[in-house]
Amino acid sequence: MQRDPKVHFCHLGVFLFLERTMLDFYTYTLADYAIVALGMAITMWIIFRILVRLGMKREAATGYALVLPWLIGFIVWTAYPIIASLYYSFTNYNVFQPPKWVGLDNYIRWLTNDRSFWPSLRLTLLYGLISLPLGLALSLGIAMLLARSVRGVGIWRTIYYLPAVIPPVATILLWRWLLGTEGLFNQIMSPIYQLIGIDKPSWFVDERYALPGLVIMSLWGVFGANTVILLAGLKSIPVHLYEAVDLDGGGAWAKFRYVTLPMVSPTLFYTLALGIIAAVKTFEPGIFIKLNSLSTGTFLQVLVYSNAFAGGNSRMGYASALGWIMLVIIMALTLLVFRSSPLWVYYEGERK
Amino acid sequence: MANVSTPISPKSILSISGIGSMKRRRVLGDVIVYVLLTLGALVVFVPLLWMLSTSLKTESELFLLPVRLFPEVPQWRNYIDVWHIQPFTLFFLNTIFITLLAMGGEILTCSLVAYGFARFRFPGRDVLFMIMLGTMMLPGIITLIPTFLIWRGFERIDTFTPLTVGALFAWGPAYIFLLRQFFLTIPREIEEAAMIDGANTLQTFFHIMLPLVKPALLTIAILSFTGNWNNFQGPLIYINTPAKYPVILALYAFSESLSKEAPKWHYMMAMTIIMSLPIIGLYLAAQRHFIEGLTIGAVKG
Repeated sequence: MQRDPKVHFCHLGVFLFLERTMLDFYTYTLADYAIVALGMAITMWIIFRILVRLGMKREAATGYALVLPWLIGFIVWTAYPIIASLYYSFTNYNVFQPPKWVGLDNYIRWLTNDRSFWPSLRLTLLYGLISLPLGLALSLGIAMLLARSVRGVGIWRTIYYLPAVIPPVATILLWRWLLGTEGLFNQIMSPIYQLIGIDKPSWFVDERYALPGLVIMSLWGVFGANTVILLAGLKSIPVHLYEAVDLDGGGAWAKFRYVTLPMVSPTLFYTLALGIIAAVKTFEPGIFIKLNSLSTGTFLQVLVYSNAFAGGNSRMGYASALGWIMLVIIMALTLLVFRSSPLWVYYEGERK
Repeated sequence: MANVSTPISPKSILSISGIGSMKRRRVLGDVIVYVLLTLGALVVFVPLLWMLSTSLKTESELFLLPVRLFPEVPQWRNYIDVWHIQPFTLFFLNTIFITLLAMGGEILTCSLVAYGFARFRFPGRDVLFMIMLGTMMLPGIITLIPTFLIWRGFERIDTFTPLTVGALFAWGPAYIFLLRQFFLTIPREIEEAAMIDGANTLQTFFHIMLPLVKPALLTIAILSFTGNWNNFQGPLIYINTPAKYPVILALYAFSESLSKEAPKWHYMMAMTIIMSLPIIGLYLAAQRHFIEGLTIGAVKG
């Protein structure tokens, strides 16, 4: 399995510069890369020649040749994996022996027998359901402040967008530190804790506080990005709509309720639809923060990973089944959002 | 600002009686706006500042109470220590190697495919394009395991191949979509003129079309660079040997070793900052393209 077993890890503290073996290793990768790139170019050329020979117009043949990288990629890395993963989900497959058909066993085991499934489903869904609307409301608020021709919009925008630029993994590590029992967050909040009369929560360890901790972390990480998206949406609202409310004697609330909200609803819809998929797919926080998968639950995708790859596990069939359960959840939620959209999303084009 | 220089307009005559209270309300509103914005900025900044200050503390200063925002003496050598505890130079080179190869592959193939979808009529084009857009919604978990098994079949586990060569298959439907939008805005006459001058399709593409969509290419380059730099799941699954770790896996390995007994958070934060710096630098240098990459999908889509 390993191509160059000669690479051994150096001791801690020993400064290791490029070993010869590592140079070789880069070369292997470059060779793979060059072969595939060349193979792709040649295939594109051959397909083009064949199609022209078969009497196709040059324009059409060129088109097919150009989209070929995607088409091959789609077949090899998307279409085949979808079918294969569906098949694996009905089998027991540990990589070393051929897959063994077990019917719906894996699905039944997830839903009835796996003690980490229901807590994790709860955590994943609640995480999405709480952090998404909260994050959108927060972003909308800040975007509206910024849209009021504030001085130095550019600087504010730079600041607010910064958390979204920080690599997600860095955000997670930072918040794991901030939300430690003796961390900065608890220190700042301690007067408030005393006021309500609670102890310093051990976020992420205590199952009551794990979810709020994760939500706080995600709010900080993502609201900047949504703010920028929503700000673009707000800026595109024509001023005359607000002037119309002024003429009718409407106040700030009327402007928000009857102009701002309907006009940004398509943008909200877009962020919500993408946000749902992203929330169900959440992975890194669950890996970097050890959550108790039996009591607190962990993110569903972490369960997929730990069953398929971690700790010598290779329950490929069992893990694939969870992947499909997640797909069903995502599709159901997305459908819900799309179905509900006529109720609250306003598209200008429809009225005209 | 404009009010200062404009002569009295009919509107202001009308409201002249109520102008005092109006102005006061205006000022009050502005004050509230700036206060809120500053509060928000603090919420953004304090954690970041804490990250920086932690990275400059000694181990004994980490849990000192009352909380001190700044260390007694900034320990800049934490950064040097971190660089030497693990072979960080190697991790950095690994990350750069993976990121550049993957980014190059994505940009090249995605722009070719986008050009194909934008400019050439062929049977089934629109169906294929819709399928491509549809794959944007597909969660990666479904394809994860079979993809792993394919690379395993090629004996490419614990190599960089799965992390780089896959990019040659036009990863990233969003990139294709964005580039196609840009190609569509270019007048056909430009290509026709090139063709008349005797350029073939590839020459037209590389010498004329690509330079014209440079802004889009930059946006995609940034998105792709950050995407690959921050990619965690890929290396986690495919890379086993520590010498082949990209920076992000080194961070993960170190974070696993953090414990109550040895809470080396100053080193952890220093590593985190080292990993984030290239991306932050890129952001500050090319902010416009960052934000464009973010909003184009939202507003046009």
